[in-house]
Formats: sequence, C-alpha cells, structure tokens
Amino acid sequence: MTLQDLAQTVGNSGLGAWMRSNVLAMPVVEAAHVLAAVTVLGTVLVVDLRLLGLTDRLRRVTVVSSEMLRYTWVAFGLAVITGVMMFAANANTYYGNTAFRIKLLLLAGAGINMAIFNLGSLRRVVQWDLQQPAPRAARVAAALSVLLWLTIIFAGRWIGFTKGYDFAVPDNVDLDLTIP
Amino acid sequence: MEQFAQWLQATPLSIAIQSSSWMVPLLQSIHIVLIGVVFVSVLLLVLRVLGVARTEQLPSVVWAQFAPWLRRGVTLLALTGLVLIISEPVREFTAVSFWLKMLLLALGLSAIAVLGKALRRDAPASRGLAVLTLLLWIAVIFFGRAIAYDVEVWGALSFKA
Repeated sequence: MTLQDLAQTVGNSGLGAWMRSNVLAMPVVEAAHVLAAVTVLGTVLVVDLRLLGLTDRLRRVTVVSSEMLRYTWVAFGLAVITGVMMFAANANTYYGNTAFRIKLLLLAGAGINMAIFNLGSLRRVVQWDLQQPAPRAARVAAALSVLLWLTIIFAGRWIGFTKGYDFAVPDNVDLDLTIP
Repeated sequence: MEQFAQWLQATPLSIAIQSSSWMVPLLQSIHIVLIGVVFVSVLLLVLRVLGVARTEQLPSVVWAQFAPWLRRGVTLLALTGLVLIISEPVREFTAVSFWLKMLLLALGLSAIAVLGKALRRDAPASRGLAVLTLLLWIAVIFFGRAIAYDVEVWGALSFKA
C-alpha cells in the first residue's frame, strides 16, 4: 500500500464521509484546529523564550517546561485529531498540496529537534536549571523550535489558499472565494 | 455599511492587497501567531487566578510579566486585522461571525481588564470570571475562523445566504 493509497483510504472512510456531509463539521473542526495550534505555539514559545534567557530568568527551566508542556501535549493531541479529520474530508487534495507536505516535513523537523534536545542537553538540566545563559545546544534547540513552529503555522495557513476547489461551499451560493 | 464596504473595496490600497497572491495569507499567518501570544498570555493569567500555574509568584508579578505581551499582541492584532478588513471589507462586514467576534473581543478585553485590576493589587480575583474570560477568548478564535464559513455556520441567518 502506497502513501497515496493510505490517503485515499482515509478519505474514503466513514470519518471522511461524515466530514463532507455535515455542513458544520469543517468550520468547527478547523476552528478547533486553530485553537489547538495557537496553544501549541504559545506554550512552546514560553519554554523557548526561557531557554533563550529572554524571560523567566529566575525560574527553573524544569519548572517552566513541566508547567507548560502538559498544555502543549493536550493541544497537540487536539491538533492531530482535528488535522486527521480535516485530511479525511478532502484527502487527495491535501495529499497533493505542497504547503501540506512542507508542513508535515516541518512537523517532523520539530519532533526531531525536540528529541535531540531531550536526549542531549536536557538530560543534564539539573546542572543548568538556573544557569544563564543556558548551554548552547539548548539555546540552538530553542531558536530552531521557534523558527520551525512559526513556519509550521505559516505553512498551515497557506494550505487554505492553495488547496483549490473548496468542496464545502454549496454550488448555488454566491460567495467571495478569494479568501478561504 | 454595505455601501462603505463596497467603496473601501474599490480603493487602490484594497485592490493592491486583494490582487497580491501572498499578502493576505501572510497577514493572516501573522494574525494567527499573534493570537498564540495573546491567547497563551490570557491562559497563564487565568491559570494564576485559578491557582494552577506560577503559584510561587505573586499575582502582580504574573500580571507584570504577561500584560505587556497582551497589550503588544492585541495592538498588532488590531493592526493586522484592520489591514485584513481593508483588503476584503465586504467579506468581513457581511459576515455574522465578524460582528459576533468583535462583540466577544470587546467582552474579552473587558474581562481581562477586570481580572488585571485584582491581579495588580494582589487581591483575590473571581475564579468564575477567569473561566469566563478564557471561554470568551476561545469564542473569539472560533468566530474568527467561522468568518470564512458564514453560510455553513449561520445558514438562513447569514447575510450572505
């Protein structure tokens, strides 16, 4: 089974059919996706700004991150669920969309960046929990994280402008389709 | 209102932004990033009121840290929002969700201001108001996105239907 087959299977699923048939599905799911995404971005920024020594300098890295990351993960989970739901609604279109592909690659990049940081300098965080500046590797990871997540948001928004025909719009309604 | 929107949409500035392939996506993307900053700032202030986060810090300290981000964020959101409105005035002004968003935004800003007064003085703030504040801002995000789906969301109530 190729990736395209997988995409088609998801699109042909009951979830896909439900997303396409229910007129409120796309607006609600997409809005939830935006809420989740901005929460991921904001909470990640709080931690990254701390690692970069720009905020919360008197608070331990471990405290700042453990406090925030529970929200990051819940929000990310919601983003993935809503993302899969939206994908199912129009699988083939998104599969072939360049911005969508770039976004997935960037997400993978953010995951790799996080893994490297967690397996690397974060292991010794007890030593630099209150240190200014934090180790270079931690600061590099934080800077990359900011860059990646901002670009992920941009790529996500660009999907909406490049996905072509908006299936959710009824044919007989005169709408301005310039801005999805 | 409709006439004003049509007039605005025909101005050179509006046309310039409309005809660009990247300006509106860019403006919207910046708008979204700023929403992240503002929403999480609101979230952290609400969490402090609820005694769930940053409890080792005085409420006034938490306010002093996040209020500037809120202020700058809201200002820039207003700016990008204004340009977005200028680029597609008819789309915005004929969307029920747009007006609802503006109302909820006014309420959300008022709610945060009330919470701020208590936080600044290290006085107890209403937990109910804190929860309401968060819900208001979540609603602002929802209706902001719903602008693009006005007919789907509002059906016969939509001005566009």
